[in-house]
Amino acid sequence: MSASESVTVDSDAYWPTDVDEEEAIVTNWFVKPGTQVREGDLLGEIQVEKVAIEVTATTAGEVTALLVDEDAAFEQGEPLLTIAPRADE
Amino acid sequence: MSQQDVAERELTMSRAMTDAIAHEMRADEDVFYMGEDVADYGGIFDSTQGLLDEFGRDRIMDVPISETAYVGAAVGAAMEGMRPIAELMFVDFFGVGMDQIYNFMAKNTYMSGGEVSVPMVLTAGVGGTYNDAAQHSQTLYGTFAHLPGMKVVVPSTAYDAKGLMHNAIRDNDPVVYLFHKRLMGIGWMPAPDGPKTPVPDDPYVLPFGEADVKREGSDVTIVTLGLHVHRALTAAEQLATDGISAEVVDLRSLVPLDTETVLDSVRKTGNLLVVDEDYRSYGVTSEVIARVAEHDPSLATSIDRLAVPDVPIPYAREMEDEVIPDATDIVGSIESMDL
Repeated sequence: MSASESVTVDSDAYWPTDVDEEEAIVTNWFVKPGTQVREGDLLGEIQVEKVAIEVTATTAGEVTALLVDEDAAFEQGEPLLTIAPRADE
Repeated sequence: MSQQDVAERELTMSRAMTDAIAHEMRADEDVFYMGEDVADYGGIFDSTQGLLDEFGRDRIMDVPISETAYVGAAVGAAMEGMRPIAELMFVDFFGVGMDQIYNFMAKNTYMSGGEVSVPMVLTAGVGGTYNDAAQHSQTLYGTFAHLPGMKVVVPSTAYDAKGLMHNAIRDNDPVVYLFHKRLMGIGWMPAPDGPKTPVPDDPYVLPFGEADVKREGSDVTIVTLGLHVHRALTAAEQLATDGISAEVVDLRSLVPLDTETVLDSVRKTGNLLVVDEDYRSYGVTSEVIARVAEHDPSLATSIDRLAVPDVPIPYAREMEDEVIPDATDIVGSIESMDL
């Protein structure tokens, strides 16, 4: 695994287009710092206006930090987590 | 990916359940799911989230509000060789379909002299702690476990939920699978820490009748199930700071009941507290204590139980919190026992 820089996963990418609400909560994380993930793996769930949305990995790599706690609120556009990409997949 | 990487993945209990259901539905086209709001809504407690997209309306079926009709249909389909899963949205609604559940689902194999099997699963959301009042907050563990003819399963973690669901669907006899709403991992009803666990991708079966020691201890045995496994673990954590070592036994299934694991634990610790979210009288607490007593009345120095007093579960938060045992109640009970 390379020690490449972590990429930030932005909540904007998962925001539904048909809501005005700008706040959401993290309902569940399924990974922790150190978890190895594949592209497309389920990382967590956020909830916007009572609708659950899956947060999936856009890149393979190692989760380096969760930036919002479980059950905590965040604003649209806030970063959710960071992943150190893995080049071998 | 190595095996270790795959096992890192954690799931909520609801996702672990649907993982098992989806696997069984892919493997066997006779498996299907019926219930109220299980299709488009995905189950009001996320018990069928995502299944409609993969399996369509012929196999993930919303039903009219008639428990008699659709539980009866499930019994009939099962007798004809299909493997239905029928869901009671709230276990509290069992009464309106009770004839089908108790006189047909549970007894048809017996009444036919073993000529027919009823390989179905009856799932139901159970439990309180979220102020839904007396008709939507019961567990009714003891009610189902009391009536012969049904296996009764109560998972407390995602790992257990998946393995028990695989076993329930594959079982050739009726299984009642009671999932606690508070453990599912729903956004509006946050679960305690604990039910979300690593869950392997591959299917695996957990046999019924095997209790699981969720925490080892030497001074007192806490026997419990469902949500209260986690409350007992919290209590054990607190007791440890006072120098009391509590063992937590998760029954996982009520029928069959793993008496041996309970006896082994009580033999080791010499003391027993049974904790239940069902009513106190004629229930799980009395059954577990009776099993210990009839095996050897001298096995335990001290025995106690904690359960919902024999009252309807109140709506008001303060009152509901008062009647449903919590970690503080468990600590208090143990501290007042003569260990």
